[in-house]
Amino acid sequence: MQLHHLRLLAFRAHDATEVAFAPGINFIFGPNGAGKTNLLEAIHYLCLTKSFVASSDRYVLQQGAPHFEVEGQFSGMRRSELRVRLAYVPGEGKRVFVNGAPLERLSEIVGMLPVVSFSPDDQALTAEGPDERRRFLDNIISQAKAAYLEDRIQYRRTMKQRNELLSQIGRSSSPANARVLASWDAELVRLGSRVIHMRHQFLLDFATFLAEAYGRIEEVAERPTITYDTIAPLTPDTTRADIEQAYRDELDRVADNERRRGLTLIGPHRDELVFALNGLEVRRYASQGQHRTFGMALKLAKYFYLYERLDEAPLFLLDDVFDPLDPERSEAFLTLLEGDAIGQSFVTATHAKRFAELVSLDAPTHRVIQVDDGKVVAPATAS
Amino acid sequence: MQFSSESVEGLVEQLTKLPSIGRKTAQRLAAFVLKMPRAEVVEIAEALIAVKDRVRECTICHNVTDRNPCVICRAPRRDRSTICVVEDANDVLAIERTGEYRGVYHVLGGVISPLNGIGPEDLRIRELMRRLVSADDIPDDVPGTNGSATPPEDVDAEAEAIIEAHQAAAVEEIILAVNPNVEGDTTAYYISQLVNPLEVSVTRIARGLPIGGDLEYADEATLSRALEGRGSL
Ligand SMILES: [Zn+2]
Repeated sequence: MQLHHLRLLAFRAHDATEVAFAPGINFIFGPNGAGKTNLLEAIHYLCLTKSFVASSDRYVLQQGAPHFEVEGQFSGMRRSELRVRLAYVPGEGKRVFVNGAPLERLSEIVGMLPVVSFSPDDQALTAEGPDERRRFLDNIISQAKAAYLEDRIQYRRTMKQRNELLSQIGRSSSPANARVLASWDAELVRLGSRVIHMRHQFLLDFATFLAEAYGRIEEVAERPTITYDTIAPLTPDTTRADIEQAYRDELDRVADNERRRGLTLIGPHRDELVFALNGLEVRRYASQGQHRTFGMALKLAKYFYLYERLDEAPLFLLDDVFDPLDPERSEAFLTLLEGDAIGQSFVTATHAKRFAELVSLDAPTHRVIQVDDGKVVAPATAS
Repeated sequence: MQFSSESVEGLVEQLTKLPSIGRKTAQRLAAFVLKMPRAEVVEIAEALIAVKDRVRECTICHNVTDRNPCVICRAPRRDRSTICVVEDANDVLAIERTGEYRGVYHVLGGVISPLNGIGPEDLRIRELMRRLVSADDIPDDVPGTNGSATPPEDVDAEAEAIIEAHQAAAVEEIILAVNPNVEGDTTAYYISQLVNPLEVSVTRIARGLPIGGDLEYADEATLSRALEGRGSL
């Protein structure tokens, strides 16, 4: 996948910006707060209808502007010309247009423009609670499989309905409710088991990608693993029917508690992923360096996984990730970005200097873009 | 744009009460009505009132109709052993347009949705069960009325005979044609749990329909395929 041209309107620091990109590494330099990251966010918006920075659309919109807009010209293996436009109007929400035609649902764009982002915030993946890890998991599988995103949306809806019913049961117990709850349980188990099964299958596949990615950036032989902690212990042979059975048993076990609390207490929304190196949990035992390497390996593995599953090179967004790296690691990473394994990438940094020594910035496949005060100041005219 | 007439403003306000009509659309419609001949406006107004005054609910299938029972329930050649269960009257129209279906219908009047405060007591589920078994054989926890115990006032002798004929017909198959979303699934499951113990087969049409799509919007070809390829629940 390649992004040729990007246009922003009233998007964060950018009033009206147009920028053209090269097929290799696109370096985006500029002082802090100039609007470098905003360009990456805008690309992410086109691919997944939201930013990689947790923030509401309202704050992405420039103050006082009636709406914001992002438009990108892409080309890929399946579609040689893909023009994607996303517009947000407060109160009306977001719409996405592909080659001029509006998508009925925003989720339809997911997977069409594969993307992997990597930013300093990603340290939360290995260091903080399970939400970030579930989000990471959901993000990859959703891009790789449309059915997964659909199942997860429906699972969430079912859970909302079921929670409402549980709290109604808590307030007044009508005899009709037992059969209604059993019907929602059936839907919850059906969808929840599909989500768990797909996560399980994905993680079995992903293990190889993670080990390979880790080996590319770390010479010390450490074995990275991901353990999936869900409603029941899983083996590689666990079927969806097994999961459904375990799910029903667990629901029975927590039934009283759920009625008391008016909440769905078990299911994929409570899943946990445990990252480990040589069997030791990263979150508790890893050094700063190991955290960083593990995080980077996760993102690279995600990249290679999506590339292989979708037969399309994802766009690689690297926001301020070179600063904490030593020169050797920076060079190794840049070599990887320049090689065939990775397609088009977008790298933000404050200073060009450290890159000038490691990579030929004026190579025709690369481009240097200077951003200042919400504007692209170089190259002077975007074509 | 603000009309300098209180009457026009009033019309705009009334029109915005309709679904998917925003203020702008309402203003366009009001401006159009202003230019229409009086006779045509009267026709529209009368049609609006007529649906409220004349249209009633079919005692058998709960579809909307001018004459009770409805034309489908009256038709002698329709297969009364097959009942297609739908959410609302528009779904009946959608399936009728395919020309593929020769059975009769049952209109639920919605789907189970705790978030919208809709439970089985708000739907015609007990009435559906009454078409299959006697009132005594319906599980006690299924809320609702027992339906046609006493025929409504608008029913004459002929109509009464049709109602009785439907009640006497042995139902062999229930087709659940509720929309393929989580509320539709759950409603289908609820009904299938009630019907499964009976000597009645329950099938669900879903395949071929766009996921999350509404039955009303499915094109006819898709709907025909869905009806052919219905699967057992
Ligand atoms: Zn009828």
